[in-house]
Amino acid sequence: MTTVLSARGVSVSFGGVHAVVDVDLDVEPGQLVGLIGPNGAGKTTFVDAISGFVPHRGTVTLDGVDITGSSPHSRARRGLSRTWQAIELFDDLTVRENLTVAAQHPSTLATLKELFARPIPLSQGIDEALEAFALEELADATPTELTQGQRKLVGVARALAARPKCLCLDEPAAGLDAHESVAFGRHLREIVDRGTPTLLIDHDMGLVLGISDHVVVLEFGQVIADGTPGEVRSDPSVVAAYLGSAADELTAAD
Amino acid sequence: MQDLVLFVLLGLGAGSVIAGIALAVVITYRGSGIINLAIGAISMVAAYAFWALRSDFFGITLATVPAIVVVMLSSILVGVVSELLVFRPLRTSSPLAKLVASLGILLTLQATMLLWFGSASKQIPNVFPDDILQIFDTSIPANRFWMAAVVVVISLAVGAVYRWTRFGLATRAASENEVFAMLAGLSPNQLSMVNTLLASALAGAMGIIAAPLAQADSTTLVLFIVPALAAALFAGFTSLPIAVIAGFGIGIGQSLMFYASTLSWFPTEQGGNPLPGTQALLTFVLLVVALSLRGASLPTRGELVEKRLPEAPRPKHLARSAAVFGAIGVVLLVVLPFGYRQALMLSLIGMVLCLSLVVITGFVGQVSLAQVALAGVAGFVVSHMIVDAGIGFPWGPIAGSIAGVVVGLIVGASALRVRGVSLAVVTLAGVVAIEQFGFASKRWGAGSAGSPVEQPSLLGFDLGTTASYRGLDGKLPSPVLGFVFLACVIALCLLVAQIRRSVLGQQMLAVRANERAAAAAGINVARVKITAYAISSFIAGTAGWMYAYNFGSVSAARFGFLIALAFVAFAYIGGITMVSGAVIGGLVATEGLVPHFFQELLGISGNWTLLVGGLILIVTVIQNPEGVAGTTYRKRQASKRAKAAADVATETMARAGES
Ligand SMILES: Nc1ncnc2c1ncn2[C@@H]1O[C@H](COP(=O)(O)OP(=O)(O)O)[C@@H](O)[C@H]1O
Ligand SMILES: [Mg+2]
Repeated sequence: MTTVLSARGVSVSFGGVHAVVDVDLDVEPGQLVGLIGPNGAGKTTFVDAISGFVPHRGTVTLDGVDITGSSPHSRARRGLSRTWQAIELFDDLTVRENLTVAAQHPSTLATLKELFARPIPLSQGIDEALEAFALEELADATPTELTQGQRKLVGVARALAARPKCLCLDEPAAGLDAHESVAFGRHLREIVDRGTPTLLIDHDMGLVLGISDHVVVLEFGQVIADGTPGEVRSDPSVVAAYLGSAADELTAAD
Repeated sequence: MQDLVLFVLLGLGAGSVIAGIALAVVITYRGSGIINLAIGAISMVAAYAFWALRSDFFGITLATVPAIVVVMLSSILVGVVSELLVFRPLRTSSPLAKLVASLGILLTLQATMLLWFGSASKQIPNVFPDDILQIFDTSIPANRFWMAAVVVVISLAVGAVYRWTRFGLATRAASENEVFAMLAGLSPNQLSMVNTLLASALAGAMGIIAAPLAQADSTTLVLFIVPALAAALFAGFTSLPIAVIAGFGIGIGQSLMFYASTLSWFPTEQGGNPLPGTQALLTFVLLVVALSLRGASLPTRGELVEKRLPEAPRPKHLARSAAVFGAIGVVLLVVLPFGYRQALMLSLIGMVLCLSLVVITGFVGQVSLAQVALAGVAGFVVSHMIVDAGIGFPWGPIAGSIAGVVVGLIVGASALRVRGVSLAVVTLAGVVAIEQFGFASKRWGAGSAGSPVEQPSLLGFDLGTTASYRGLDGKLPSPVLGFVFLACVIALCLLVAQIRRSVLGQQMLAVRANERAAAAAGINVARVKITAYAISSFIAGTAGWMYAYNFGSVSAARFGFLIALAFVAFAYIGGITMVSGAVIGGLVATEGLVPHFFQELLGISGNWTLLVGGLILIVTVIQNPEGVAGTTYRKRQASKRAKAAADVATETMARAGES
């Protein structure tokens, strides 16, 4: 089977800042790949690059097709769905409508038909995604009526509703409490096992190492480790870089 | 060569005034995030006041210096009053609400001056020596240099204030983040107030030094706001030096364009006169080019996101609403006396214009001020089709609407990389360009006169204002044309409501909420915007030919930039995100049913209407920052929720009683 998502030599710089340097990353079918690294390591910038939101060097292929030069929306339509670290829901739309715009992209003709004749049947992806996160009850609420945790889930459900080939989640569990985070991990693992390969970025080491098949660690924009959760956990440079700074954060939080 | 120098130096005059007003625009924006359209109007007030104080209007004549002092104090007073009464209550509202409020101030000031000083223009007293300088063998009035010198000195002083005082630092910090400013010990209200003081003093000064160029009248200085906004936009509404330089640049550029128009190679129109409006066209093109080079097709990470527009609820009960509206409309058209009938017909046209704004601004969040100009394009096409080619109803209107769509797409495509208030300014420059280059041209428009339009008829039926059926009072205009209008309005209302319910409408709202997230959801943002521009221009074009048939002629005056602004205000006040809002907007539009009612009831007319209109505009925006329809919708939702909660409570109690 072809690799679902493959990034080769991806680099991004802002002026003089090298935010992402020569990163290689693969997501294989059925895999949940974790991407971790301290704050400012370039994780979000990497996702921005592969999803087309910042100019970058290197190549990105999705399911064997080179999508390097494409615009963000066409990458999304070809099956690369992403979420945002700061939840960026469409506050003017209901939850169901949020999912609808991600799942359905009617042609001009279909739009005309919808305006003058009959509604477009809703795609199944929408109900499936609502169900995957037990959001059916909230389908007609607007995002402003939801809790922080619910908004996070809607963001992920929206990305999932498009039935993507590959899902990229930027810190989906940040802001969830421990209980919610565990439940989220379980849901996510189910989604992957049902056939949506996923790239998961998160700060919560426990979550990422606990459910991922493969983990990539970034520091200062570079890959410093790459392997199974077990390998990464015992990698001395990871312990130094990531766990060290996590420890710092803990002390800072005190 | 000599001539070139001469026109560059002459351009310094207009350049100074543009630069000064641009500076005031930027100062206001940095202080409070308001695009204040009324700054040119403050210059106008100053010009009138200066004339009055120097010419015994109030029974005393002051010497130059005391008169200047009093004028500056009055300008500051105008600024402070508008700050306290209008902008402060709106501090947390959307930029569009503030823009509409500033339009209210502009109209109020205009009306006050006209009522106070009459409509004849006054000579602003000269404050500069009358010397003529000889440079490169040409004679140039020294006052141009004085004007430039005054503006340059003021700019340097303002620059110094911002660079070296605590207040300046706080303002610069505040335009990034209000918290920083609070840390510096100044509240946003104080900052905004001090910046307003500075800006209105500056605007007042421009009214005095403009004497060699302008007279005190109700439009000249007011309209300086347009090139000044362009200059401010070049400066990104932040850089003071760039605003000043761009202001001088625009003034000199316009002067050179005028020079070019005297040369033999310059294109001419009938009668051998040079093509009009090329200066406005140049400003628009330069703006579009500059902003496209700077802007990105999607906002970048961390780019400032402006405050949201009011919510856009999904419309329900379309068929029922259309039937009720249609029935009321037919009855009113037949029953109302002719004055009210005409007002109702104008309201119907106003509804169409507001609907076009609902699509582009309400649904997609693009503040386009160009819709009225697009209506004009359609109106003139209808007129030219019949006059030049003998083609009438229904082909003329169809061609007119298509022409509106084409021009709308050009404006829309050139604005794809521009968002928010910048877009408003670009489209404003577009309106002025279309007005001066298109409508005022004898070739494409009607020159300064009107261009006739023959009444419509279809298959031998007269559909025009003079049709034989005359309603109950038997007077003109015939309700028949009103029936045609009513049918158009209902069809377009249904179309817009359907759009909101469709996936396309949801895509529009997604783009409005967040362009980056919309693109990540697979939405082609540019395509959605272009589609919206096309639909909205089509609707605006419809309003254009309705106007044409209603008046039996088209003229540039009906599609000017103040009217374009006024319609944004009506649409906003009615409720710019809802179909019902467009209906309300049309009812309150100029010459519409509600103003006509007040005119009849209170017996007010002319400039008093303008004054009352301006004041009502301000009060309504402050009371309903989300528009009348929005406020009503929210109240109804709230009472529904309260009722639901009460029902649940009774039910629980009942159940408790049973057990
Ligand atoms: N638009 C931008 N302009 C300049 N620098 C940026 C921009 N976006 C991110 N950066 C920089 O790139 C680096 C990586 O940031 P980011 O990708 O957000 O890290 P992470 O998501 O791992 O916390 C940081 O140093 C950040 O300051
Ligand atoms: Mg990040």
